[in-house]
Amino acid sequence: MRITQHPVLDVQEGRQVPFTFDGRPLVGLEGEMVSSALFANGIRTFSIHTVGNAPQGLFCANGQCAQCTVIIDGLPVKSCITPLREGMEIKTLVHHPELPADDEPRPSSVPEELACNVLIVGAGPSGITSAIELADLGFTVILADDKDHLGGKLVLQTHKFFGSMADCYAGTRGTDIAKILEEEARSRENITILTSSTVVGIFSDRKAGIYQDRLEKYVHVSFDGLIIATGARERSLVFPGNDLPGVFGAGAFQTLVNRDLVKSSERVLIVGCGNVGLIGAYHALQAGINVVGLVDIAPEVTGYKVHADKIKRMGVPIYLSHTILGVQGDGKVERATIAQVDDNWHPLVETAKTFAIDTVLIAVGLSSADEFYQSGLEGGFPVLKTGDADEIAEASSAMIGGRIIGRKMAVLLGSDVTIPKEWPEKQEVLKSPPGQTFERSFEMFGKGWKPMIHCYQEIPCNPCTTVCPQDSIHLSGRTGTIMDLPEFSEKCIGCGFCVLICPGLAITLTRRSKEEDLAELVVPHEFKHDYKPGDKVQLRDVDGLALGEGTVKAARYNKQHRTSLLTLVVPAELATKAVGILVQAEEITIPLPETDLSCLPDNAVVCRCERVTVGELKEFIQENEVTDINQLKQVRLAMGACGGKTCLDLVPRVMMEVGVKRENIQAATHRPLTVEVPMKALANEGGGQK
Amino acid sequence: MKTYDAVVIGAGSVGVPLAYRLAVRGLSVAVVEMRSSVGQGQNKAAIGGIRATHSDRAKIKIGKESLNVVRRLLPEYGLDVDYIEGGYLFPAYSEHVAAGLKSLLPVQKKFGLNIDWIEPDEVRKRCPGILSDGLLGGTFSPEDGHLSSLKMIGAFYRLARQAKVDFLFSTEVVDIEVENGKVKAVVTDQGKISCGYVVNAAGGFGRDVSLMAGADLPVYPDSHEAGVTEPVKRFFLPMVVDIAPDEQSDNYYFYQNAENQIVFCITPRPKRMGRDRRSTSEFLPMVILRMLQLYPRLRNIKVRRVWRGLYPMTPDGKPIVGFDRDVEGFFHAIGMCGQGLMLGPGLADMIALAIAEGQEDEEVFADLSPYRDFSGEELLK
Repeated sequence: MRITQHPVLDVQEGRQVPFTFDGRPLVGLEGEMVSSALFANGIRTFSIHTVGNAPQGLFCANGQCAQCTVIIDGLPVKSCITPLREGMEIKTLVHHPELPADDEPRPSSVPEELACNVLIVGAGPSGITSAIELADLGFTVILADDKDHLGGKLVLQTHKFFGSMADCYAGTRGTDIAKILEEEARSRENITILTSSTVVGIFSDRKAGIYQDRLEKYVHVSFDGLIIATGARERSLVFPGNDLPGVFGAGAFQTLVNRDLVKSSERVLIVGCGNVGLIGAYHALQAGINVVGLVDIAPEVTGYKVHADKIKRMGVPIYLSHTILGVQGDGKVERATIAQVDDNWHPLVETAKTFAIDTVLIAVGLSSADEFYQSGLEGGFPVLKTGDADEIAEASSAMIGGRIIGRKMAVLLGSDVTIPKEWPEKQEVLKSPPGQTFERSFEMFGKGWKPMIHCYQEIPCNPCTTVCPQDSIHLSGRTGTIMDLPEFSEKCIGCGFCVLICPGLAITLTRRSKEEDLAELVVPHEFKHDYKPGDKVQLRDVDGLALGEGTVKAARYNKQHRTSLLTLVVPAELATKAVGILVQAEEITIPLPETDLSCLPDNAVVCRCERVTVGELKEFIQENEVTDINQLKQVRLAMGACGGKTCLDLVPRVMMEVGVKRENIQAATHRPLTVEVPMKALANEGGGQK
Repeated sequence: MKTYDAVVIGAGSVGVPLAYRLAVRGLSVAVVEMRSSVGQGQNKAAIGGIRATHSDRAKIKIGKESLNVVRRLLPEYGLDVDYIEGGYLFPAYSEHVAAGLKSLLPVQKKFGLNIDWIEPDEVRKRCPGILSDGLLGGTFSPEDGHLSSLKMIGAFYRLARQAKVDFLFSTEVVDIEVENGKVKAVVTDQGKISCGYVVNAAGGFGRDVSLMAGADLPVYPDSHEAGVTEPVKRFFLPMVVDIAPDEQSDNYYFYQNAENQIVFCITPRPKRMGRDRRSTSEFLPMVILRMLQLYPRLRNIKVRRVWRGLYPMTPDGKPIVGFDRDVEGFFHAIGMCGQGLMLGPGLADMIALAIAEGQEDEEVFADLSPYRDFSGEELLK
């Protein structure tokens, strides 16, 4: 299935090309990733593992693991980073692939040697901004990224950004920010941009090894200094059924849905209520995908309240103090069971609920991908890290953080440039977790429009204060930063700019109607719709509680913001309470009548590459009194294609469950390569001319 | 701290099997290891080859014994170390290499090795797709093999623990206490351990530990880098060793392990002396270009991981094994020259027998004596 209409993204017509999957003729879009072409054709099982003949499917969609490997034209390749070409013969990878008898020697060559002052690994928001900063100070920069475009994860962010308009394009969508930053970087002659160029190792002889997959080429880059802007990877969770095709990260979901416009799912359950999970739910709704709910073991939402409020009023329940007991299905995700937990995080089985779903999105946080920083330190070179590779925070803070790190690197390399003291201050604010939450109540004017700012929690965000043509919205001044809540005073002309710009969709406009007891309410609506005057809508308050009905009076579409303003006629007493309208039908979120408790906790998979289960690990740890994670390599943990990117985060918890003390746990050794590289590329057999 | 009959310094390929054998022979044994678990020095860097095919009698004898020990682990102890008896194959593409390999055969056969020259067809049969152009044949020793170094040390760790060996991890030896010309205790950063015997099995740090007992032995580590690929359907069994040097390197070798991954390693020239174990950018181009010339079919396989390990070398390429002549009770088991994994299991009981019963295998202990003339050169490296 594909997304044929989207409120924010343009649905572009690609060239349709034929290909086959296990002999079946199918059609995909030329140049899209093979994994997306397969998903669009309803295919979710990409390989069969040697262990237990388990089906495997897409997991990271980011080129970092190898769960999506398929056989294309006889060779095993990662489908998530391989563009579809006409006539490809794609097959399910069953167990280990057979190498073709490709036995003629070919000319090969040593790697091309490139050099620069600063190598920046990763061209996301922080990498690009540090490149710009260094380039403007006269340094030569090589900016290398594994993707074929710049912007990192910004290209998946279809929502408007928080932060301040002056410093980080607040109110602009991530997809648009990526374009702006790319243009900035490309306009500088001393930045060499290498796309589809994965840094696979930082070596002790002050060189990076770069694998250029599209060219089947391997190059070396020598550098004076190194900036690691490799972002983060998604954390995973250990629960029975976590290995079924259809369990994947929120990042993979955003890639499928927002980048490739593939309708990956019909019904999803989301685990994790940080901003990633909350935004993931919103993106799902925008793509026409149902969300049965969000689950978080914490008693409170950890993401921004405005994000949570937004999806609650659209009809998505949030289950706090809940955990996922397991995912069930025959070779794919079919059901998921959740339960409330007690104060010790033990599930209360009597509270269990089972939902019919086809996808579980894991959004339980991110961990910094900073292995290269360690390699740089071991190498003894000038090395700095920035963005999520340094500290997990919003992209808004990464942009200013990148500039700071760019200048710090310049200083390390001998420049006498200084860092304006307000930069770190601004970054500090932008990366702040949510602050205090306040009660607010609103009253309408007797006459004329007035904004109701349903923004209750201090977060670093100020676009509404900068767009008001009457300059009537100001920050409260409580902390003196953009964390402060916006407040309205004085005049409103009803222009709706504040409604359109608010990333939290938390501002409405109200005015009394001529008819007694009625009011007009303007709400933002970021969905495709065909509302006509007279249509009824379900009003919701900030917590998602049903308030009653409203009637559509008018619908205006603002092209610049790709947002509709719906003018509703509502009972006057609801005008200050209603924040939005129900989007998703309530029956979608109803659990199945029968609860499925067929979960075997020991079968939960920790290492996905080698399919090492919790049960196996616990037994080995206890028998051998293991405290050093390196010993778990004996049972193949972290020995697979991804090199422990997912499982090494999960293992300490497993060890502690069998009595190993946290302080005794010895971390695993990290070794290059970060991703696997074909020998023919390392030998430059294609001469880089392919 | 406790008192032991014997303290083994180093929980690696040599120390762990040895500690087990000492305990089986009735000694109370502690193993002191500076790292946080077994096999975290050079054991885990070993690519896994295990052979009796050497060019001198002591190493051939120890190698054969190692293979005997390893072959028994699964049937007798239920311990699977991924041993595959795939043989060692040394292909020859030049008359010079062929002549060199053939010249070793009489000596090797004299010491009872099952090894012979095989014709090009046989080489191709054992390694489908190997370069045919210029292939003259090679030597093949079917009773050699390969295993998982991780699993092997894991197996001996289990056996040693069952035999009541104590392991003291994250414990660094700082001195050897000697009284009246006799070992008295091992001094560590965690305290003192009294003992009657000390075995130095400290691998890359072997020389440093021997110096603590006053012996200056010629063990100087150099380093090799190695790598492993993704698994592919099995297509060859032997360890393939190309001994023909090129401009930057001497021999290189590779095999397909029990997980169906290709594991490979190369000997750089000049040697890289020292204990630096960080990966370099030179390794992959150096080894892959050579491997693909020899075995083009490997071009479509992906390299997964690389690492670097130490070869604690002696001047003549043979280990240093034997009692110290000045300090009673101090035993040297160092300078394995990158072959600790393949020599450790075989040496274990030879050393245990010498310590526990005073019985020394004359040939082995003479050839590997710490006090031998080191000027000889190893023929098959």
